[in-house]
Amino acid sequence: MSDAEQPTEADVHDHHDHEGPGYLTPQAAIEESEPEETAYVMGLHVGQDVDAPDFLAVVDVDPDSDTYGDIVERVQMPNRGDELHHFGWNACSSSCHVEGLERRHLIVPGQRSSRIHVVDTKDRRDPEITTVIEPDAVYEHDLSAPHTVHCIPDGEILISMLGDADGDLPGGFLELNDDFEVEGRWDPPGEIEMNYDFWYQPRHNVMLSTEWAAPKTYYPGFDLEDVENGKYGQRLNFWDWEAGTVEQTIDLGEDGLIPLEARFLHTPESTHGYVGAALSSNIVHFWADGGEYHAEPVIEFDDREHEDWDMPVPALPTDILVSMDDRYLFGSNWLHGEVWMYDISDPSNPRKADSISIGGYFGDVQEVQGRDLVAGPQMIQLSLDGERLYWTTSLFSSWDNQFFPEEGEKGSVMLKADVNPRRGTLSLDEEFLVDFGDLPEGPARAHEIRWPDGDCTSDVWQ
Amino acid sequence: MTRVRLVWRDADRVATVDVLAGQTVLDAAESADVALPFGCRTGACGTCTARLLDGEVSHRRPPRALKERHLDDGYVLPCIAVPETDARLEVGAAVQADLVPNPWK
Repeated sequence: MSDAEQPTEADVHDHHDHEGPGYLTPQAAIEESEPEETAYVMGLHVGQDVDAPDFLAVVDVDPDSDTYGDIVERVQMPNRGDELHHFGWNACSSSCHVEGLERRHLIVPGQRSSRIHVVDTKDRRDPEITTVIEPDAVYEHDLSAPHTVHCIPDGEILISMLGDADGDLPGGFLELNDDFEVEGRWDPPGEIEMNYDFWYQPRHNVMLSTEWAAPKTYYPGFDLEDVENGKYGQRLNFWDWEAGTVEQTIDLGEDGLIPLEARFLHTPESTHGYVGAALSSNIVHFWADGGEYHAEPVIEFDDREHEDWDMPVPALPTDILVSMDDRYLFGSNWLHGEVWMYDISDPSNPRKADSISIGGYFGDVQEVQGRDLVAGPQMIQLSLDGERLYWTTSLFSSWDNQFFPEEGEKGSVMLKADVNPRRGTLSLDEEFLVDFGDLPEGPARAHEIRWPDGDCTSDVWQ
Repeated sequence: MTRVRLVWRDADRVATVDVLAGQTVLDAAESADVALPFGCRTGACGTCTARLLDGEVSHRRPPRALKERHLDDGYVLPCIAVPETDARLEVGAAVQADLVPNPWK
């Protein structure tokens, strides 16, 4: 079953006749959306001595509900061992011209298994798995390790794949059609070596992809020897979005080691955006000028000394996002234990607005409601109106084991801060705690968060 | 057929599974309803990492998740490991965590 009929020629780009999913503009998303009542969160048991599959958690985030802050439903995957990680929608605001298309199906890849699940959220509080693409159907295209999911404007779906069928390089992109079948490889092999996150800005016919490493390199854990041997990424790859070919590669060098999350500003006119270079602990600003892209670090987090560590502790900013009004950049420093917001009204000169020191190795707050946090803030998600920031604490099962070994034993938490986007302030909401450590099968990790009606890390405008 | 003894660290947990010729340790454990950690099932990710305590096993694909130093220390990947003799393996999530320690601590 398809979520859309093909649009007629007349429908395309006719933004006045808004029949499809999402919102006409980023500002419309702020004005028209209701406060989120349901969150979808990736829950994991992979790599634990817990005999249970990973799951999609349905979390009640409606403060007027009796089950506020509870995991009210879990959709268990059919197999163990997936490592659910990032996930995304079949459609977003980039398809708002496509009549009949709905934002309804979540595409949920297994990072380790290379299995791809499709979850129907027609009943928001009781989603169900409708399609499973088995690993062999992915390996057939010499790809593995699915990561970021974005829809393509006409109802198709693109997934960044971090490795070849052996978990080695090169990675690439896998395309699904609107019936959730594997259409094939999107890019000609060899355009890139490493892959990770991507974002496209269709009005400028550009896509940006970033670089982690070969799956066989990052899967077992973070080995400094691999960094020394050049096995980790440091490049930004700018693509011709229509042609599917790399037009420009920027080598960030030592200032841009392990560039992870890629975020363009939401306004479709902008060529500005940010990438978090996790290992270098820099936030890199990129923009187009004179027909080419430029990139430079604009926020640098200093290492800190810790009495239990031989070497200074890097901040490790592992996730960033841009608010829907393009006014603030939010991020998390997983090792240091900090969530922060910077004013980006002048995109080249971010100005710190506020931060919360919580979790990790240096956070002032180390427990909420008596629950030890045992890790730093990691995946973040912001409400569409920009007033509530949520986060979870797991990075990746094997990396958690190295840096926050207690997380596997106690599970992750999901936390929340209230944001005042007029005053530029963040304040921890101590009333809100979702404890993934308290589940019948055993403690679970928690990773990416999404809202049913779109969010600041999925929606793109044509 | 070979017989593989599985031993968990820090727990009074052991299991013995019979492995058919050509079968992997992970497949045999699943047939016997013994839950081991695993991920990719192709030898790339190392989630199932175990340590060989006795006996011999061979990998039926290259064990890409393991570096030379891990192989020298007896680490094996049950998802692609086929026992050549009766064997004893240390298994469970704690073994994977041995592979790469925190590099800065």
